Amino acid sequence: MTVAVITDGVETVEGTVIDGRVLVAAGELETATGWRLEPEGLCRGDVCVLVPDGAAVRVDDRVDLGALAEVLGRRHVVDAEAGVIAWSLDGEARRQALDDLTAPSFTLPDLDGRLRSLEEWRGRRRMLFAFSSW
Amino acid sequence: MQDELSDTDFTVIAVAIQEDADGLEPFLEGITFPVLLDREHVLTELYAISNVPTVIWIDADDTIVRPNSVAVSTDTFVDFTGVTCEQDLVALRRWIRDGDVPLSPEQAHGVVADLSDDEVDARLEFRVAAHLRRVGRESEAAAHFERAARLAPHDFTIRRAMMPLIGVDPFGEAFFELWAEFQAAGSPYHGLGDPIRD
Repeated sequence: MTVAVITDGVETVEGTVIDGRVLVAAGELETATGWRLEPEGLCRGDVCVLVPDGAAVRVDDRVDLGALAEVLGRRHVVDAEAGVIAWSLDGEARRQALDDLTAPSFTLPDLDGRLRSLEEWRGRRRMLFAFSSW
Repeated sequence: MQDELSDTDFTVIAVAIQEDADGLEPFLEGITFPVLLDREHVLTELYAISNVPTVIWIDADDTIVRPNSVAVSTDTFVDFTGVTCEQDLVALRRWIRDGDVPLSPEQAHGVVADLSDDEVDARLEFRVAAHLRRVGRESEAAAHFERAARLAPHDFTIRRAMMPLIGVDPFGEAFFELWAEFQAAGSPYHGLGDPIRD
């Protein structure tokens, strides 16, 4: 089956759900989450997070996305029947940003579909205006 | 406002917290600043935003000089583009023209309470629901929307944002019921709920 993995976007990859655990092939992990399993831990870019010995992140040749979320300190929600898992964003980074008043970075598409990041306008004073039509 | 300050380094970055660009047309007329689309409500989790419109002022070096603030007190859509009430415009001009910020760093610190675990989980339930709706699994989506609403009952980016996704008019009776619940709970908002007064 395929499973949908939601972080700051939705990725659909080959996977399976066993006993409420969402499992994907280790090779699919980076596509699904941006993270990869290395001997030194769970890595993204240059950053690696140590995977504790007791963390049962591997099931045969697959990885348990819920267990990996816990390693990263991310909250997660699963719909086992539908094959969907959502990871929270980095809560520690949010708390840090709220504490030291540094604007967290983000990358979102503009209305033409082009990806734009907050850094693009660094060096300028910016008013972030969160709005909606609802 | 953007036009008035076009000789400065100032820019608005508008972020639409919604499923798609539908309904944005009235807002887009004549604007010159970028408009981004945030389908997964990433911004509301990163910045602990619980209602829109919310404005955040960010200095050239990425420092937040005015944390999450309610932008307007009107429901009229075109008025959103006017950005804020007159007092806010005065404050904005002062920041851009004179470099005066409305809050000291000490005052700005701690203005925005962090999201609770339930409020984070509500965002996850909302994303799962929105995904299931997109792939045609409406009844499963409805269960996740309900859970999201229970987890964050006074968060408009959850409760009101889901209305158009479940066939409810976000400007109709359901909105006024939500508004009454919100007020009865003391109008909880992550940030400055009232305009800054001199």
